[in-house]
Amino acid sequence: MRGERMSTEHLDEEMRDVFQEIANVAMGRAADLLARLLNNYVVLPIPVVNLLERNELKMALSSLKSVDSVSAVCQGFVGSRISGEALLIFNDTSFQDIAELTEFKGDITPDIELELLMDIANILIGACLKGLTEQLDVSFSQGQPVLLGQHLNLQDLINNQTGNWKRALTIEIPYRLESRNVDCDLLLLFTEDSLAVLESKVRFMLE
Amino acid sequence: MSTPVLICDDSSFARKQVQRALPPDWDVDVTFAGNGEEGLSAINAGKGDVVFLDLTMPVMDGFEVLEAIKKQDLPCLVVVISGDIQPEAMARVKKLGAVDFIKKPVDAQRLQQVLTDFGIYAG
Repeated sequence: MRGERMSTEHLDEEMRDVFQEIANVAMGRAADLLARLLNNYVVLPIPVVNLLERNELKMALSSLKSVDSVSAVCQGFVGSRISGEALLIFNDTSFQDIAELTEFKGDITPDIELELLMDIANILIGACLKGLTEQLDVSFSQGQPVLLGQHLNLQDLINNQTGNWKRALTIEIPYRLESRNVDCDLLLLFTEDSLAVLESKVRFMLE
Repeated sequence: MSTPVLICDDSSFARKQVQRALPPDWDVDVTFAGNGEEGLSAINAGKGDVVFLDLTMPVMDGFEVLEAIKKQDLPCLVVVISGDIQPEAMARVKKLGAVDFIKKPVDAQRLQQVLTDFGIYAG
């Protein structure tokens, strides 16, 4: 297999395995911060790695149901000839519990939800990207987090996701809290142009 | 006699990382398992006097493996190697009988230190 280019059609098993393991380590660090913030144990999932077309993006969000009302933030990153986006998607039913866990007192207005969403996005996306870049030995600069929307269904959310890509390597990390009704999905997208660099970094790790 | 060592992790990359971190002069007979169920069978077959155990795995996760080892009173020393670095995860695995916890990605020095601390490997 050595020397073979990562196909942009298929992801070979060895590559998928390494991305999954790297994501596992990165999401663990992010989960640790979330657990400290919410004073609750975060159940770690097995990250799901895929190579998807834009119109298949819904498949990368397998833990969310299309009827769910969701809110989401997106943050771009670029560096070391790799570019991509991180999306953090919350099931709107989560906010009541998040507010309680962060000891927020008062009405949970859409503004408060937005604040909670942005705070958690900063923590999770930042820690996860840091975990990835350290392992891959690359560096990314992050853009500003952008609100994709509040109280949307999944399809509207996907329509709002306008990043400039056709095909992407996706890593889905569905976090959930053990004893609370908090569901959020962290989705990392790496653009097609980034795949060759990512592959060479991974090959280096395998040596 | 070689020490039977089991490396239980769903990622083949992670299994290789652990294998490479073992002391090069440690006389071991290494067995690999891709999930907790396979791992438990290997332990039952006497292939895991020392077990390096991941937590996040399909079919049967590391917490469940530790529970089974405790319940069946299986004679093995378990070192958890995981990306789940929450203090709660560490506390839980220690309570379930794991001798120590190493965070991923595994560091060879740290692993050798743990082996030395517990008298598993003389160094």
